[in-house]
Amino acid sequence: MIGSKHWVLLLLTAVLSGCGGYPRLLNFSFDAGGRGLNSPASELSPQIASRYIAFVSDRNGSQDVYLFDAENRKLIDVPGLNSLDAIASNPAISQDGRYIVYSNSRQGNSEIELYDRETQIARTLTGRIQAEVRHPTISAEGSAIAFEVATDGQWDIMVVDRSGNALDIPGMPKE
Amino acid sequence: MVALAGCDSSPTPTNSLGLNSRYNDEQPALSGDGRWLAFVSNRNGSNQIAVYDLRQRRFVDLPGLNQSSAIAQNPSLSLTGRYITYIINDRGRPEISLYDRETQQSEILSQRYSSWVRNPKISPDGRYVVFETARRGQWDVEVLDRGPNIELDVPDGSPVQ
Repeated sequence: MIGSKHWVLLLLTAVLSGCGGYPRLLNFSFDAGGRGLNSPASELSPQIASRYIAFVSDRNGSQDVYLFDAENRKLIDVPGLNSLDAIASNPAISQDGRYIVYSNSRQGNSEIELYDRETQIARTLTGRIQAEVRHPTISAEGSAIAFEVATDGQWDIMVVDRSGNALDIPGMPKE
Repeated sequence: MVALAGCDSSPTPTNSLGLNSRYNDEQPALSGDGRWLAFVSNRNGSNQIAVYDLRQRRFVDLPGLNQSSAIAQNPSLSLTGRYITYIINDRGRPEISLYDRETQQSEILSQRYSSWVRNPKISPDGRYVVFETARRGQWDVEVLDRGPNIELDVPDGSPVQ
């Protein structure tokens, strides 16, 4: 007797383990047309929270943020997030699927941006920071955002709320 | 100060007051609940993974995680920071490792995976790990399932299933 759950697992099972054990790889079909998780272009810096996988890909000729729904196995549109003149990197999504942080490099200047899927608006969190910033991440419940700041010749870590205000932690870099 | 630090047997960079140091502190990762911050610090003279408690404002010990003979990088945390995945360079080959703060044990998840791997991130519940693979000659995304029998990382006080 094979229940529906077993059937799903059978479909998902892939090459990692020949003996049917865990850990094993999930098999998301490759799509040459760029509508799947993987494409003929490169896919970078994936992050997972509940059903969502955020990553960047250059499948459409510029490095953009993509959002994949692992449950329904399809891409989710993120209108207003990607712009033609910017390179997006290191996306991370909250587990309710609402907030995506990423870094955006535009004309030699990088900023950490927060995209709200509800309003479809992206805001810059680091406009007041003069130094270079990179590698953002957001907590799954969506309240804290951390990233690197180049201060005094080395990388430091800054933790801010969704408005970009620094948390009160000793040793935090000054804006 | 140097002498004091030399006596400290803990490999975790706890001998520092604030979050940041005058060395590189990079690759931040937040636990799902926003309480724990993991990152890579060079403050003790080698690349090590540190975990900072943003609520109590102190570093936590990670017994057995950092080894002097290996470089650990790219940490990520599950919901309450119980599971930490990271890349460990094992004899020149990067492997995805998982450290359980509950048992203080780490295990290699990518042992039977033959391609080059990078940038692992664990899901908040601790079951799935996404990472970059060079399997098709470029970077692609792969998802590893730790299976239905692992202990999920669930919020404190949630009912046991």
